[in-house]
Amino acid sequence: MTFLARKSLQLIIAFFVLIAISALPSLIVRMHFVPESYWTGLQEQFHQLTKLNEITYYNVTAEREDQLLPALQPLIQETLILFLTSLAVSFMVAILYVSLFYRSGKWMRTFLRQMSRTLEMVPDLFWVILSQSLVIYLFKTTGFDRIEVAGTYADSIRFLPILCLTLTTVFFFIKWLTTQILDQEESLFLELARAKGLKNSTLFWKHLLPTMFYRFYLFFRSNIITVLSSLLIIEYTFEVQGLFRFVLYNSQMPILLVILFLVYLPIFVLDLLAEWLIPNAWKGEL
Amino acid sequence: MRRTLVRDPIFWICIIILTSLLLMSFGNTIFRDGQVDRISNRYADDGTFIATSPLKPSFDQWLGTDRSGNDLFQMMVEGFKWTFGVCAFVALGRLILGLMIGIPLAFRGKRLHGILKIVMDGFLVLPVSLLALMLMLSSLIFPEMLAVPYLSDRLTFEFTILIVLGLPSLVLYIIGETRQILTQEFMVVASTLGGGTWHRFRRHLWPHLVPTLSIIFMQQFIQTLMLLVQLSLFGIFFSGTVILYEGITPLIFEWASMFGYYFNQFSAVSWINHMFLVPTIGIALLIFLCNLLTSRLERAYRIRRHDQPVIEETSIVQNEAAVTSLDDPFVPVRHHINQETR
Repeated sequence: MTFLARKSLQLIIAFFVLIAISALPSLIVRMHFVPESYWTGLQEQFHQLTKLNEITYYNVTAEREDQLLPALQPLIQETLILFLTSLAVSFMVAILYVSLFYRSGKWMRTFLRQMSRTLEMVPDLFWVILSQSLVIYLFKTTGFDRIEVAGTYADSIRFLPILCLTLTTVFFFIKWLTTQILDQEESLFLELARAKGLKNSTLFWKHLLPTMFYRFYLFFRSNIITVLSSLLIIEYTFEVQGLFRFVLYNSQMPILLVILFLVYLPIFVLDLLAEWLIPNAWKGEL
Repeated sequence: MRRTLVRDPIFWICIIILTSLLLMSFGNTIFRDGQVDRISNRYADDGTFIATSPLKPSFDQWLGTDRSGNDLFQMMVEGFKWTFGVCAFVALGRLILGLMIGIPLAFRGKRLHGILKIVMDGFLVLPVSLLALMLMLSSLIFPEMLAVPYLSDRLTFEFTILIVLGLPSLVLYIIGETRQILTQEFMVVASTLGGGTWHRFRRHLWPHLVPTLSIIFMQQFIQTLMLLVQLSLFGIFFSGTVILYEGITPLIFEWASMFGYYFNQFSAVSWINHMFLVPTIGIALLIFLCNLLTSRLERAYRIRRHDQPVIEETSIVQNEAAVTSLDDPFVPVRHHINQETR
């Protein structure tokens, strides 16, 4: 009961904060901060809550005002496909990498760490430019034109955006997981398991990984803004018909409010599920 | 930590490159009045016309010129002080404000920390570049040159937004980091012995925070640079965008603005060209240098932590054994063992 009350309170507070954030553009009038204007903006945003289904946006292609909520459905779908696929691939690659890292000797570990450290320094935008340049170079030299470098209203682009988002997040995950492996390696429970004669692979998959799982979720949760920022850049540069690109071109306050709710709610539900579903033994003292 | 950094050649290489670039940039401003050469056409020695701007990189113009004939090398040199200065100023501003807000809050109870986390949670789902764009869009795009306000006004406005937007996550991080140090044994002892909050902060907390802060500074520097690059990509250049007949143009040609300005030419005119590559490679190298500097700082911090004397359980046992030995009660057993093995 306490858990439910705490979470409900958290949701209510978060809603107020999101409304306050969505009204922030009204705070600025010609490079000056005007609190009165912000107050009016806040009132308007609260007023909008009662008629969310009436919010419209200007459809450039059709040259008319359209209802916002039905138009968002394909955009949400596109963003979700990119986001979830990239996360799943990054997670799997990162886990495979750390399992290899854990079993490797000193020389191999140094090599792997140097390589991942160098690659993690590459910002998301440069992965985008590099991948687009490579695809165009490939087309110019071989005539291979199966890989799209930009999406259109009718055609969705998937491969390159997923690849770029995966490349951005995978090194981010690898860095954290490698640090955790090095920290946990000398812990007593692993020493005991090793003394009992368990293999390295068993140690990793059965003992080490479950203890890191919840910590990893917390790490991901606190850094989700980094992944979303990359997603925004990727949607913009590849012309993906997604949620974030939509808000870039339609940056009115009511639309921002709806998008904020749409982004926050799934994350909140994910938090709830993580707290409920992950066994307490995996959470440790956290 | 300082000793490790002084002996680190990679750290010094990064510092020397950044300092040289800064000196060149300020040198150009002081000795050449910030001038950038403009060459529209290139002629052979006999006066024959060879090419018009944008000129490709050559012996005379190392990085070529843009469409208006501006020497890109000189533009990069002139713009570096702005890019570096803005990022350093914003990072420093965030750090100072983050410390001023975060440290007093860290000394409060766990409950307040929990409430703050809930309140800040909303801020941590919206990309900062998107929020910055929405805040700046109406104020930093000017329809003509005559509508552009004073530079000081534009800078104050943009710095305020860039600093404030980075604060929520930074404050939470500083609170978490400080609270972790506060739970350490030496802090508990300092508190038990009657040390006041200010005393504990000044004598015990601050020395432990400084290495972390230097790393945070570098991270904020890179984040600010990336934010400027992303904003310029969306058409909001640093210190404002002017809409001219030819299209949008920045008011200050710093590196991030140059990147956004030439990005259109990357996708529209030709698939890749030197005008776009010059700022792109410049920014990539700057980010690489800053990341390298951060990793060297992290390495030095790690070494420092490992160098700190750790009292192991075994050494305590050995010392106790030495006390009970009749030989010399003040010499640890390990010392005796070492002497015997020799």
